[in-house]
Amino acid sequence: MLLSNGLIGLREGLEAALVVSILVAFLVRTDRRSRLPQVWLGVAAAVALSVVFGAVVSFTAATMTFEQQEAFGGGMSLLAVAFVTGMVFWMRATARTIAADLRGKLDRALEVGPLAVVVLAFLAVGREGLETAVFFYSSVQAAGSTVQPLIGFLVGIGVAVALAYLLYRGAIRFDLGAFFTWTGALLVFVAAGVLAYGLHDLQEAAILPGLDVLAFDLGDTVPEDSWYGALLKGIFNYSQRTTVLQAAAWSAYVLVVLPLFLIRPRTRAAAGARS
Amino acid sequence: MPTTARALTAASLLLLAACGGPETTAGADGPIAVEATDDACKVARTSAKTGNVTFEVTNKGTKVTEFYLYAPGDRILGEVENIGPGLTRRLIVEVTEAGELQTACKPGMKGDGIRGAFTVDGEARKSADADAALAEATKGYQRYVNSQADGLLAKTTEFVDAVKAGDVERAKALYPVARTYWERIEPVAESFGDLDPKVDGREDVIEEGVEFTGFHRLEKDLWQAGPQADTASIADRLLTDVKEVVAKAKAVELTPLQLANGAKELLDEVATGKITGEEDRYSHTDLWDFRANVDGSQAAVAALRPVIEERDAALAATVDQKFKALDDLLETYRDGDGFRLYTALGESDVQALSAAVDALGEPISRVAEVVSR
Repeated sequence: MLLSNGLIGLREGLEAALVVSILVAFLVRTDRRSRLPQVWLGVAAAVALSVVFGAVVSFTAATMTFEQQEAFGGGMSLLAVAFVTGMVFWMRATARTIAADLRGKLDRALEVGPLAVVVLAFLAVGREGLETAVFFYSSVQAAGSTVQPLIGFLVGIGVAVALAYLLYRGAIRFDLGAFFTWTGALLVFVAAGVLAYGLHDLQEAAILPGLDVLAFDLGDTVPEDSWYGALLKGIFNYSQRTTVLQAAAWSAYVLVVLPLFLIRPRTRAAAGARS
Repeated sequence: MPTTARALTAASLLLLAACGGPETTAGADGPIAVEATDDACKVARTSAKTGNVTFEVTNKGTKVTEFYLYAPGDRILGEVENIGPGLTRRLIVEVTEAGELQTACKPGMKGDGIRGAFTVDGEARKSADADAALAEATKGYQRYVNSQADGLLAKTTEFVDAVKAGDVERAKALYPVARTYWERIEPVAESFGDLDPKVDGREDVIEEGVEFTGFHRLEKDLWQAGPQADTASIADRLLTDVKEVVAKAKAVELTPLQLANGAKELLDEVATGKITGEEDRYSHTDLWDFRANVDGSQAAVAALRPVIEERDAALAATVDQKFKALDDLLETYRDGDGFRLYTALGESDVQALSAAVDALGEPISRVAEVVSR
């Protein structure tokens, strides 16, 4: 009981924590600490909204129809993909500028509106925020008879945050070129997963067809309720029953975006001077 | 700004404390408890009425589970995921059509789940939130019904007073006026079972064993038979019945489809009763009723107009045009405040009116179909 609810917490928290930690690491590494409050603002807004909406959905008669929920979730996911993709190329542009040792131009490469940073952080956390909040409330309600689900859930979220923090610490130690390459590539896979996940939501709502046309079903080999399945789902939005549409979209996204991101002009980024 | 977030969090925690548990608003019979374990899926009730169906799914197993409600062909009507062991999650599904559905628990979130049959019956409902415009339409028409109901009560009271006072001329003048309000909202009144025959029954269509009362009985006394011993008591009963109709008409909740069907029924009334001169056979004030039926039909269509416009602009235009043609034709039979008597109409007049009504009937019958899309 403790473990399975913990894994849900881990899964729901991991993706958001990863994106936020990479964003923070990136801002810190490029001397943009002044932007950090915007990150926390986006995160706080998403948490607050999720908490309020979650309470409304849990404790009042207010309800969204299934189609609305899925359309909302799917729409948020697609929006998140757009922003994370933007972040990847934003990092790439920065890497190029650093590689070309044009420090003066770095400022201009970083001139992304503060709003974009807020929205990115907001989307990363808010995408699954409502579902997570509703889950949280139901585990609070269950606390009357058993506190295990609540504890498990909180521990899971805690582990997700801890993992993200470790990633952040590690990312801070990497040399700058490697940092950009690895975190950027990771984000490409995260975004591909979010894209596939969002499309699956839209398939469930019957807005898109092909819910039963499966590419594979690994429910027995890599179940989502195992610790490794939960990690995969949390980071890459792996789903044990993947539809052909999901698989195709995921592959197409990775095949297009990853090369675009990795192909570097001229030399690879010079090692960061500050380490 | 983060302080706002903190305040919101605090507010929702208060909300949490205040509520203490899930409230559910499932129809008459509360939420349906579902007990999910690793190898079973016990659904407390396997049938429900159309509308919002609420499930309270409790996971008593060891694996994380999901709960689904499927329509035929495994179309998902609703699902709730991530029901961890020990948790209860609520699922509210708006089921708009009756049918044979399936419930499914999916322990471990995989496979086709543990299925069970679930029957929904009751009349099909338009998705409540699918169409705010339709809701607005019914509200608008409700206002119309209320205003006509007020008029009906006021004029019927005057009419009854005149009848009881023996003021035949005044009663005769008030008769078609009071009926105008009645005829405008007749489909609504007809939905109240036996009130319609009591108020508006004609001598020939009154069933065996039912007394001939209401407007037409008084009409007969005023125009043909002369005052009878029970005329006054019949008048009192009419007022009592009308009061009941008014109270019910104000409380009734109409559906958009009822509006559309009502618009058509009113025209059918015209075609079957008014055109033939059967309705007011003693007073021959059929054209007043005719006009009132058309008014009522127009009001219902006007209320639905934004919806018709949006879904079938061509139909909206056709309906407008045919209404106008009928209006223009009717106006040629005006006579002071009222209309010519039916007896003053020639064969060709009746045919022209009949043709205009039929021309309108066809597009009006398509309104219901457009509304229920």
